[in-house]
Amino acid sequence: MVRNAARRLLEAAFVLWLAATLAFLALQLTPGDPAQALLAASGATPEQVAARRAQLGLDDPLPLQYLRYLMELLRGDLGQSWLHGRSVGRMIAEQLPPTVELALAATAVGVTLGVALGTLAAARRDTWLDAAATALAVVGLSTPVYGSGLLAILLFSLHLRWLPASGTGGLAHLLLPALVLGFALAGSIARVVRSRVVEVLGAPFVLAARARGVSGRRLLLGHVLRAALGPALMVTALQFGFLLGGAVVTESVFARQGLGRLALQAILWRDLPVVRGVVLVGALAYVLSNLLADLAQTALDPRLREEAT
Amino acid sequence: MKRFFLLALLLTLLLAGCAPRPGGRIVYGLTLSPSGIDPHVNASSELGIPLTSVYDTLVYQDPATGEFVPGLAERWEVSDDGRVYTFHLRRGVTFHDGTPFNAEAVRFNLERITSDELASQKARFMLGPYEGVEVVDETTVRILLSEPFAPLLDSLSQVYLGMASPAAVEQWGTEYQLHQVGTGPYMFVEYVPGDHLLLRRNPDYAWGPPIYEHNTATVEEIEFRFFTDPATRSPALETGEADVMGEIPPQDAARLSQSEDFRIEAVPIPGVSLMFFMNTTRPPLDDLRVRQALLYGTDRPAIVSTVFRDTSPVAYGPLSAVTFGYDPAVRTEYPYSYDPARAAALLAEAGWADSDGDGLLDRDGQPLTLDMVLMGWGFMPEVGQLLAAQWAELGIGVNSRVVSYPEALQAASEGQHHLIPFTLSGSDPDILRKFFHSQAGFNWSLVNDPEMDGWLEEGARVSDPAQRATLYSQVQRRVMEQALVIPIRDYVNPNGVSNRVQNLRFDARGWFPWLIDVTLAR
Repeated sequence: MVRNAARRLLEAAFVLWLAATLAFLALQLTPGDPAQALLAASGATPEQVAARRAQLGLDDPLPLQYLRYLMELLRGDLGQSWLHGRSVGRMIAEQLPPTVELALAATAVGVTLGVALGTLAAARRDTWLDAAATALAVVGLSTPVYGSGLLAILLFSLHLRWLPASGTGGLAHLLLPALVLGFALAGSIARVVRSRVVEVLGAPFVLAARARGVSGRRLLLGHVLRAALGPALMVTALQFGFLLGGAVVTESVFARQGLGRLALQAILWRDLPVVRGVVLVGALAYVLSNLLADLAQTALDPRLREEAT
Repeated sequence: MKRFFLLALLLTLLLAGCAPRPGGRIVYGLTLSPSGIDPHVNASSELGIPLTSVYDTLVYQDPATGEFVPGLAERWEVSDDGRVYTFHLRRGVTFHDGTPFNAEAVRFNLERITSDELASQKARFMLGPYEGVEVVDETTVRILLSEPFAPLLDSLSQVYLGMASPAAVEQWGTEYQLHQVGTGPYMFVEYVPGDHLLLRRNPDYAWGPPIYEHNTATVEEIEFRFFTDPATRSPALETGEADVMGEIPPQDAARLSQSEDFRIEAVPIPGVSLMFFMNTTRPPLDDLRVRQALLYGTDRPAIVSTVFRDTSPVAYGPLSAVTFGYDPAVRTEYPYSYDPARAAALLAEAGWADSDGDGLLDRDGQPLTLDMVLMGWGFMPEVGQLLAAQWAELGIGVNSRVVSYPEALQAASEGQHHLIPFTLSGSDPDILRKFFHSQAGFNWSLVNDPEMDGWLEEGARVSDPAQRATLYSQVQRRVMEQALVIPIRDYVNPNGVSNRVQNLRFDARGWFPWLIDVTLAR
């Protein structure tokens, strides 16, 4: 168990280092000079732009820049934003909570809706209910968040006036973006859950339970769903990247605070310290969500528990 | 006695009717999440929308006349050689934190702005050939320049050179932008990045410039929120989540202007019009006839009508019509009215013909195709698409790609383009120097005209407005005579405004509202 945990930690550190390095390299390959982007419109002379480039350390050899970046990271220093002139750590700390809030709420919506749709479709296989649930899942899966977001604003905010269209704040502000993002997530979860439930329904232990006289509903909720929840969690964890990407668009459509909008702006302006910081936080979130999904799956499935020890 | 009481009551009522009673709150929608909001550090125009009311400037520009009027400086003198500006400051002005405003505060601010450590992205460069600052006495301060710089007053009238409380700056360091303190009609209450910024009325304000209508602000609180996605702006107005919103997309503006609850206040923005720079060093655009052919082959009114729904005027030269120094003669002398026949003749004259019958003009076996580099904002892709369609009828092919701003800067500086658009706001015609001086960063036409360089340098030095106007008129004519650019439209900011918000006035930059004068309808 301890060895297992140590291995997981090492893996996590490796993933983080890899993300940090890739973020560093990817930005080197993107065309565009950050100093020029910052100063071009101000009327700075070419000499002044060159001086700023040197000040940002962009003239130093690449290995030196990389080393300096790693050393700062090890000290826990994410640097200072070139665009904002503030500490990257602080900026991320400000924007992280609303994004996490949105991601969690969207996950809750996605898992609930996805599991419900998937189970319903499987239990009523090959009926019109199955077709409807599957169709809904496909719509969720394939509608870009941008489109569904605007439609939701038109319907629930402008037309029905039930929910606010924009901003960060209480539950009312969270509901619409969480539904929109969660709906997209629900699509992929529903598909996995459906096929898994169909599979489990034909499994020997279900037949055995049925033979013992366990009623349909209890069977479905007690045995089948439990088996289907694991894969749903795995999909959710794997979809975390999608969730973060979707959060960028969702935050923009609903004028919400969040990491996504921060990252977008930083990329557009080549604000390297901020981009690197956000990538690192994203990688960390990915590692954590995978770890949690593993743990949850182990808890749900006794067979895995035995393997792990 | 009774009569006296009635009279007093009547008087009170009358007075109350004259001066609007303070109170109420509005939500003002911003269209970009600003890239940092310290006006001394950051460059976005979004920051100026709220902060123009937090800070006062030494001087102000009257948008009606273009004249500079007193602000924190009651009066000023310029030395004969144009290198020393002496400002005599107002007495009795205090920052929102109680710090007194004086010559020492001006010195502190200018030294902060020009320090390497602050890494200013705009304010520092607006000071041009700044050399230093000298405190003469409590209320007199001098700005020293290494050479004359005509745009200095224009710069000093902008929020980027607004006066911040030295005590607050020292207290907060790099976090100052979350705790800003000025002397203006509104106080900075809080800023939650990406979410909102809150201002509250400064009840003690009594030193506004003569161009403000009110002595103190009326609306108690103003909250600014960020609506980066254009499609969400008019819904935010219509749901009542915002009372004012800039940059309403043209089709929504057309609809809102029909509404009883809203109006569109379209504010023309001075500066450089949206225009396509033609790379004069890259064949075939090194041939003046080909550049002229592109101008004649462009139906600008059709583009402005399609893309901007006629919300903005067609541009005929590099400066928008509301900019100081704009010469209307440019339009009459170089109208380049849509004339495809003339365009075709010019191309034929330059040796271009469709010899292989593929619909594209060619010369020496090379087809006439142009590389267009576009950025994703400001309707540039839409305009680029229409240009390509119009030129296709002349037998000209266009390869366009949409890139980010830093990428576009790089592509243009390397001369990878035939055509690239840009637009920039600015109230002083010295803005032309950024685009048409041979050494300029935005010299995207890659022009190298010593005579024009001379006019632009001279224009930045001489202070006489008439002399400057002549110089800039020469520049504008040269730009169009040489067909360096294809002007498309003058920038206009369509503000959607709820009818409960009254008397929304804007400064000489066109972007920045004078919130002090805003009142609420009953």
